[in-house]
Amino acid sequence: MLRINNIEYSYEKEKQKYQYDFSLKAGETIVISGVSGVGKSTLLDIIAGFLTANSGEIILDKIKLANLAPEHRPISILFQDENLFEHLSVEKNLGLAFSKAIIDKEKIAIALKNVGLMGYEKRWAKNLSGGEKQRVALARTLLRNKPILLLDEPFSALDKKTAKDMRLLVKNLVKQYKWHTIVVSHNIEDAVELNAKNYIMKNGILKKT
Amino acid sequence: MLLTKGIIASQKRKIIMLIIALSISAFMTLLFFSIINVGNIFASNTAVIKIDILQLILMSLMQASLTTILSLSAGIAIAWALNRLEFFGKNLVVSLFATAIVAPAMVVAFGLISVWGRAGWIAQLLEFFGLSWNFSIFGLGGILFAHTILNGAFAAHILLARVDAIPARKLKSAQSLALTPFKRFILLDWAAISGALPALGSIIFLLAFTSFPIVLMLGGGVANQTLEVAIYSAVRLSFDLDLAVKLSVIQLVLCMIIIFPAIISNSNLANAGVNYSYKWQQKGLAQFTQIIILVLAVFAFALPLLAILIDGIAGGILDTLSRPSFWQASFTSISIGSLSAILTLILAVLIATGRAAFSNGILKAILGLPVFAYLVIPAVVLSLGFYLLSNKLDIATSTSAPFVLIIANSLLALPFAIAILAPAIETINYRYDKLSRSLNLSSLMRWRIVEWPLIGREIGIVLALAFCFSLGDLGIISLFGTNEFTTLPYAMYQSLGVYRSNDAAVIAAFMLILCLMVFWFLPVIFRKISNAKN
Amino acid sequence: MSFRFLIFILTSLFLNLSAKAQDAASLNIYTYDSFASEWGPAPLLKEKFEKTCNCTINFIPNNSSIGALRKIQLDGERSDADILLGIDSSIAAEAKASGLFAKHNVDLSNIKLPANWKSDSFVPFDYGYFAFVYNKEKLPNPPASFEDLIASNIKIVIQDPRSSTTGLGLVLWLKSVYGESANKIWQQLKPNIITITKGWSESYNLFLKGEADMVLSYTTSPAYHLIAEQDNRFTAASFLEGHYMQIEVAGILQASKNKQLANEFLSWLISDEAQIIIPTSNWMYPVADVELPMGFEGLIQPKNALILVDDLVQKNSNIWIEEMLSAFN
Repeated sequence: MLRINNIEYSYEKEKQKYQYDFSLKAGETIVISGVSGVGKSTLLDIIAGFLTANSGEIILDKIKLANLAPEHRPISILFQDENLFEHLSVEKNLGLAFSKAIIDKEKIAIALKNVGLMGYEKRWAKNLSGGEKQRVALARTLLRNKPILLLDEPFSALDKKTAKDMRLLVKNLVKQYKWHTIVVSHNIEDAVELNAKNYIMKNGILKKT
Repeated sequence: MLLTKGIIASQKRKIIMLIIALSISAFMTLLFFSIINVGNIFASNTAVIKIDILQLILMSLMQASLTTILSLSAGIAIAWALNRLEFFGKNLVVSLFATAIVAPAMVVAFGLISVWGRAGWIAQLLEFFGLSWNFSIFGLGGILFAHTILNGAFAAHILLARVDAIPARKLKSAQSLALTPFKRFILLDWAAISGALPALGSIIFLLAFTSFPIVLMLGGGVANQTLEVAIYSAVRLSFDLDLAVKLSVIQLVLCMIIIFPAIISNSNLANAGVNYSYKWQQKGLAQFTQIIILVLAVFAFALPLLAILIDGIAGGILDTLSRPSFWQASFTSISIGSLSAILTLILAVLIATGRAAFSNGILKAILGLPVFAYLVIPAVVLSLGFYLLSNKLDIATSTSAPFVLIIANSLLALPFAIAILAPAIETINYRYDKLSRSLNLSSLMRWRIVEWPLIGREIGIVLALAFCFSLGDLGIISLFGTNEFTTLPYAMYQSLGVYRSNDAAVIAAFMLILCLMVFWFLPVIFRKISNAKN
Repeated sequence: MSFRFLIFILTSLFLNLSAKAQDAASLNIYTYDSFASEWGPAPLLKEKFEKTCNCTINFIPNNSSIGALRKIQLDGERSDADILLGIDSSIAAEAKASGLFAKHNVDLSNIKLPANWKSDSFVPFDYGYFAFVYNKEKLPNPPASFEDLIASNIKIVIQDPRSSTTGLGLVLWLKSVYGESANKIWQQLKPNIITITKGWSESYNLFLKGEADMVLSYTTSPAYHLIAEQDNRFTAASFLEGHYMQIEVAGILQASKNKQLANEFLSWLISDEAQIIIPTSNWMYPVADVELPMGFEGLIQPKNALILVDDLVQKNSNIWIEEMLSAFN
């Protein structure tokens, strides 16, 4: 269970205060929708550790996350783009998921199979299509298998068909691996197809719809 | 194809650029020819001192290569440190490194001696602790040291912009993947800077290869001459003009070969628009190393500049400032510098916009060559060529002096001006070319509406750069200076010649302050002006 | 910058430059920087001479005496030089061989030089001795000869013989003392030499900064510090072998249209009236028998004043310079 208890944050130069308070079970997905700039991505930054909240707690199954540096938080984060290192191969990109230097090729093969990119190991990240890149990024989260999955506009750069396929893939993986999933998106279809609870930001406060 | 205004604009620009490129090349050939023709007269009279050309070339190549390697390494390390650390006064430090390229080399050489010489600050400090300072600043070691400080700072400034431009999302991805500092450097930083290294390396190589005041002052004598110094000797001392031309052509060809790949590779040295909304600082050993690197770098770079300022202030400013000759030299230097800067800007804009109109990469590179050739022509050869041309055209040198100074200094600053302006204009072109053409903008309209508002800062930098180059020139004025027509470097030299080293110190400090001020304020002012018109 | 301002600058530059009144009688005297600067002898000489004649004299500075010669050669027939003033006797022969100089008709019988030097093309107007200058307080035991110097750890700074007459002076000095074995001396002197600068100015500045213990300069340099700065820490080292002389001379250009005026000027230059200025403006010894200012009496007097014959110098200076340079490669 992931609990976000009364997290408050305001940017240095702004007056707007953002408040978040909700909880999430394993395998559950929430989608936070709204126009840009209302504080959706801010929440992700806070959970990931890139920003420090002014007050409140983040608790995952009794562990307080606030004291952990971003490198050590049990999260995987996926952005709209820039998730991969363009000049590396797919295999090398996935290899970064392992903490040791040794790459487990078998696990990589399985992960790629799970995202529908079997045999893509030696391909260059630069040469992949948008959808393929996101899939590789997803494969990496598979390999890391962290309990929390944060997605920041993950499908915005994809065309309609690919986005639809990706949503299905994410839905299945989340169900299979029981990740606490938070998706930030301005697209209505995401909430629907991911079978997720829908939240919006109203005046800086996260509210369920 | 309908000849719309938009298309005509593009053609016009191409033609203007072609004309300029051709004129510049023709001009250079003309200068060389004047020199060769005169050379014959002096065959019997003057000293023909043999020099080993091959050894000279090898020496220059070795020095330049070492400088390039050291400078790039230093630059990478400093950029790395600056990107990670945040501290009060960081902007000041970054601007300081930016000035590396404009500080007059002669002045910096003196500053280096003041700090690192046998009787310098470091030596005195060590003596206080009972240690002795055995490093000789004269010799190959001294040259490399000086070059690395200057070029390393320059490299750091350029590379920092690239590293700072890494998108925030990439940083966050990498951070949550818990990349080690080493992995982070390889995957993020290196990918960002490696694109700039060929061009940056070529420029540093050329600067070191043709380095003059530093090699002259710190070379320690004759063993460490570069081709440039030998050319200077051939022209001014032994008067072996044939040799001078021969060596100049060799230098030209060698350097063109070296810089050609860099021009073609189209690597971009421009500021990619720094937009860092996220800072991923490191802790522990990595941060400690960064701090050490930064402290050493600031130390090494700022100290000589500080030495010049202090020597100048201690040298009895009031005395020097009260002399009318000082103000006359200042007036001349500032006027010539300003006019030279304006000419450089105009030429650079015409060339950059013209080049951008060409879509063929190879054609672009070839057209860029004549300009870059001036990076390589020794100032003394340029000056001699102008002098002889002036004679041939029956113009008294005292009349032609200001014009020669303005034109020659512009030509010498042009390569840098283009290196700064071209990437910005290419980017604008890439974005707005089709739009401008479809809106049927004439060349001038396009300049006023599209280009001018967006490159205010770059224009300021170009003006400042050209001004500072002109300010520090000693090569061209040496043949054209008279009692009525002196510039600050000339006055500085004169002071040294009459035992008045204090005066020289004050002039040096004044030049440095002038350059720093111009370099800090012009870009800001021009950005405001060009944006205000928007 | 507005257009009008631009025009203003250009015009003022123009006016400034063409302000020199072209009198019926005027003399263009090419000389080296420091001579023509506001600190050198030129302003006083100009003032005094113009009182006696109805003419204008212009001292035109160049960055060295050799540079002045080169400029005249470069200008060829266009040269507006009437007199070349300030070249060293050691390049006088080369200058003469260029054919650019006319014979003068100045009476040299009254000048006094420690060594015999006469020429029909050039008029000597001051002289000095090359010597190594040092700071008494920093160097309590100065060397008394080249051998002493070589055997010590003393750091010296010298000049390039191709660009500086002082540098050339050292080459000739060693040659006149050691003849054939001068090369060996250069080899042995190498470790003492910190750097070789292009001109005397840089060397002296380095010495004043403390980078070198001794600098190749003149026996008269300490007089500057003593008289102009009231600083008595500097002095020259007296060498047993003797010191080479630098005799500064002036010559009239063949192409000059004012030869008579030029001759008059040169005659006046060696008169008492002109010579009395020399010691405290050029910091050299006068060739006329005038009283030396206070402070000059403390300068070292070389026992031997060395000088090589002009022709010998002209024939061999290139070879000797090459020998010296090759000792450093």
